[in-house]
Amino acid sequence: MSTELESDLTGAVEGGEHDEQHEPELKAIARHLFKNRAAVVGMVIIGIFLLGAIFAPLLTPYGPTDTALGSSLQGPSLDHPLGTDELGRDLFSRLLFGARISVMIGLISVVIGVVIGVPIGAISGYYGGAIDLFTQRFIDIMIAFPGILLAIIVVTVLGVGVENVMIATGLASVPLYARLVRGSVLSAKEQTYVHAAKAAGIRNSSIIFRHILPNCLGPIIVQSTFQIATSILWAAGLGFLGLGAQAPTPEWGAILSRGRGYMRVAHHLTTFPGVAILLMVLGFNLIGDGLRDALDPKTR
Amino acid sequence: MYRYVIRRLLLTIPVLVGVSLLVFFMIRLLPGDPARALAGMQASPEFIEQTRARYYLDEPLPVQYGIFVRDILRGDLGQSTFSRRPVALELRIRFPRTLQLAVTALAIATVVGVSAGVVSATKRYSLFDNISMLLALIGVAAPVFWLALMLQLLFAVNLGWLPSSGIGTWRHMVLPSVTLGMASAGLIARITRSSMLDVLRQDYIMTARAKGLVEQIVVYKHAFKNALIPVVTVMGLQFGILLGGAVLTETVFAWPGVGRLLVDSILRRDYPVVQATVLVLALSFVLINLIVDIIYAYLDPRITYDGAS
Amino acid sequence: MGTTTLRKVAVLSLVLVLAGALLAGAAGQPEEEVVVRDEIVIAMGAEPEALDPVAMTSAPAATVSEHVSQPLIYMEEDGTLAPLLATDWYANEDGDEWTLELREGVTFHDGEPFNAEAVKANLERFLDPDVGAAYAFLINRIQEMEVVDEHTLRLYLDAPFAPMASHLSHSFVAMISPAQIAELDDPDDITDAPIGTGPYRFVEWDRGSSITVEVNEDYWGDIPEIPRVRFNFIEEDSARMVALETGEADVVMRVPPVDADRLAAEPDIDVVYQTSVRQIYIGFNAQAEPFDDPRVRRAFNYAVDKESIVADILRDNAFVADAPIPDAVFGHTSVGPYEHDPDRARELLAEAGYEDGISFTLYHPTGRYLLDSTIAEAVQAQLAQVGLDASLQTLEWGSYIDMLDTPLEDAEHEVYMLGWGTVTLDADYGLYALLHSSQAPPVGNNYGFYGHDEVDELLADARVIPDVDQREAMYHEAIELLWEDAPWLFLHNEGQINAQRANVEGVIHHPLENVSVWNARFGD
Repeated sequence: MSTELESDLTGAVEGGEHDEQHEPELKAIARHLFKNRAAVVGMVIIGIFLLGAIFAPLLTPYGPTDTALGSSLQGPSLDHPLGTDELGRDLFSRLLFGARISVMIGLISVVIGVVIGVPIGAISGYYGGAIDLFTQRFIDIMIAFPGILLAIIVVTVLGVGVENVMIATGLASVPLYARLVRGSVLSAKEQTYVHAAKAAGIRNSSIIFRHILPNCLGPIIVQSTFQIATSILWAAGLGFLGLGAQAPTPEWGAILSRGRGYMRVAHHLTTFPGVAILLMVLGFNLIGDGLRDALDPKTR
Repeated sequence: MYRYVIRRLLLTIPVLVGVSLLVFFMIRLLPGDPARALAGMQASPEFIEQTRARYYLDEPLPVQYGIFVRDILRGDLGQSTFSRRPVALELRIRFPRTLQLAVTALAIATVVGVSAGVVSATKRYSLFDNISMLLALIGVAAPVFWLALMLQLLFAVNLGWLPSSGIGTWRHMVLPSVTLGMASAGLIARITRSSMLDVLRQDYIMTARAKGLVEQIVVYKHAFKNALIPVVTVMGLQFGILLGGAVLTETVFAWPGVGRLLVDSILRRDYPVVQATVLVLALSFVLINLIVDIIYAYLDPRITYDGAS
Repeated sequence: MGTTTLRKVAVLSLVLVLAGALLAGAAGQPEEEVVVRDEIVIAMGAEPEALDPVAMTSAPAATVSEHVSQPLIYMEEDGTLAPLLATDWYANEDGDEWTLELREGVTFHDGEPFNAEAVKANLERFLDPDVGAAYAFLINRIQEMEVVDEHTLRLYLDAPFAPMASHLSHSFVAMISPAQIAELDDPDDITDAPIGTGPYRFVEWDRGSSITVEVNEDYWGDIPEIPRVRFNFIEEDSARMVALETGEADVVMRVPPVDADRLAAEPDIDVVYQTSVRQIYIGFNAQAEPFDDPRVRRAFNYAVDKESIVADILRDNAFVADAPIPDAVFGHTSVGPYEHDPDRARELLAEAGYEDGISFTLYHPTGRYLLDSTIAEAVQAQLAQVGLDASLQTLEWGSYIDMLDTPLEDAEHEVYMLGWGTVTLDADYGLYALLHSSQAPPVGNNYGFYGHDEVDELLADARVIPDVDQREAMYHEAIELLWEDAPWLFLHNEGQINAQRANVEGVIHHPLENVSVWNARFGD
């Protein structure tokens, strides 16, 4: 729940410093990224998870919802490398298929946050004045409203299920994007090319979307990488409160939440999903760190 | 400075009005009602009627909101639909507990985070640096409730060093506050480190060193103070997160604060409690960030608030 | 060299923090158990909402309240009604006039005498619509009350009502001091500190954390041995179990079935198994195709392996249902269970014209009943074997009841998991509200809109006939009809597991999910 702040801070501390606004060259960024050992570790972690998720059906003979009541709560073995759960389902299969869900939750909630938050921030920053004042207050309100609560209420209204968790975590990230983008747009607005575009009579909307936003892409991408991690943590937290995925969906938070009831007799049901969440969040955070450094002209 | 503070205080009014509107209408979107959530299948139609009337839920929404605002202006936070007690009474007991937990967590996070960050920055790429930064990353990435369960199992069950749950002595505080502060500690350590590194690279530090000032003085007097600025910002934001994030920690450790109360109250459709608690949380969040900004001004004399936004 | 010093400082502060944590642990260890314990700690899974009789709605509230404020009649663990504040009770021939003989020489904790006027004041408040007690329905047949003498009260009902005494035994119909009632002049006001007649008097409610009561030295019955009782609220199962293991609690309620064997193996811990009065079932909307066909509903019953659910998921801490009410309930007769027979299920489905199976949504709560969503998943897997394709949908409780409690024309639910506790241990409470056609939403709890003419008649008659044997025979007949017609997929009767430190004796673990310690003492 704190990665959002980190990225937040990135926006606050470094977002304003993208003064030069060079068109970042993809190659240079990639080179820089691959030289960063921590980022490479992050990419390897996420890569393994993605491969596991994509090829899940090939990696395990068991379906994620195949129950076998007779062989429940077994510890790790050759048949079941991570053991079985309370209904005799193979935990390894459930975690593999669950990786798909976690990645989807991360990605889609970020898309929701970006699609709503970025235009709000851009319009607020670009037009200024009354619009800015209004949206600023709106963002203040959203930020002062505890994020996890917003998510809890959204899921309670819309109902339990992975899609609604995505919407909930996505909405909770809207103010972060709005604030980040507003900051970037404010500084970009004063650039000569924007003045030139205005003087040339180009429409405001096209100035925003064609000229300003592409230059804010760096901070948005960095923020999004962290936000994927945050969303995964939030989804797990919702799952812990019983407001996550619908059973028998193998969402990690839900597996963990259910598994904690068996912590003392079958701790693998708590340990492994916890480690999986930790690793995936860690992976995205490392990539985020790497991207931030790679996109920052100061450190390049 | 005073003008700035007053301006900021005035700005909290629209924020609080907005939060109150948001929470008021959002919780009324929830299906179900307090009487059914309370008495479940035993809620007779009469009881549902009586309950709705008692809490003005049979009035049109704008009227209900009006009553809510009127009561708040009179200092009345309403009556819980679950316990039928005044919400103010409930919050007076529970809010300080969450505050206590959050303050302790933040204190631990700051002490641990700042010291680890400073040492890591001054001893860049040392073993200490690597290990503490790895721990910081893990602290940030671990799901807090999972961490809570694991620490509880280790320290309360297996080692028997600390009480497993509840409140009472300061020993009861240790596990919940450490768990809650873990992510913040990681974050603060990382911010401190990078901010420290930034500052140490600055010209005036180089000058100070060139002037032959003792390294200790350089680090303490010049670098440290400047490096603290972003750390203070994070602390302010973290505090809000800690207040809200206490939900999960409070659940695992049966800590009777507002976090768990809030979740339970949403599930119970206890509108008055949810409304009042969210408002109090929002108010404390806003005030804390104001305080942070003022501290900010003292730390960084370059920032002047008069006139500027 | 400067940085070295700095590092030392930083490392030192880290060490201090860790040392503090270690010391904290060490400091607590040597505290030896005091020989004479003057307090017993009960760890409960939830906090009571209130202790005022008119505001109570939950079992945790009943557990605490019973130590302080007593009802007129006590329901023993086997369902027998025993004298408590009333020494005798009887109905007239028609069954619409009940007389209560009250115990003499009882005083409330504030010294007020307990008498017919006191009972009248309590019942009037319980029934007052302005006060709005959720459980007023228990006794709302009472039209009038007459104080016959100091210790005799007569109740006049609007119609004969056979289970009246059972209803008066409900823990929520508890007596508090008339002086206290007089102080609560606003009908909205409730008390947090009830003044009752019980073996313990209320001391303190630490919100969110615990309630403490201390012994009532002037108690009219046997004075308890343990001077203080503390009820601790620990919602999280694992933390509650840990509290027992570390000795922070002496008794814990709601032990998860999977932890029972582990705890039972500990020499210092006794695990207590007790029945409950709650039955878990899966209801059908009996007005909606294809669930209006009894053959389809019977097919569901044959398709599910209840034995395996009870053995593998509930770890034998439950009983496969053999009637629509649990065994302990008056009127029960064993007619089941449906055995697990997937072939029979397929046959029935084919007979009914659904050989290709049925797709539907199975609604279920999460965390309301013991392992509810896990059981729903197991049921889903077993139904799939016979071509019944259920997609699961859970809602949190507040929304769940709201969804079920809709009139037929708006009903979306077809198949839903639910539980019902027959807390009066009388078949009327278990069958009438759930399966009588007049009780369809929004009136009652017949969420499946079930109706069966003969059953309707039997259930309606049995609630007004005072003759016990006749009533019993009618319920037996109704249960046989119901079993054949299968309005539900009958699952299981829940058991409850509690646990206590081995040195604690005399704790009552009641089938109504109460734990009582007025007879408890510490052994060796």
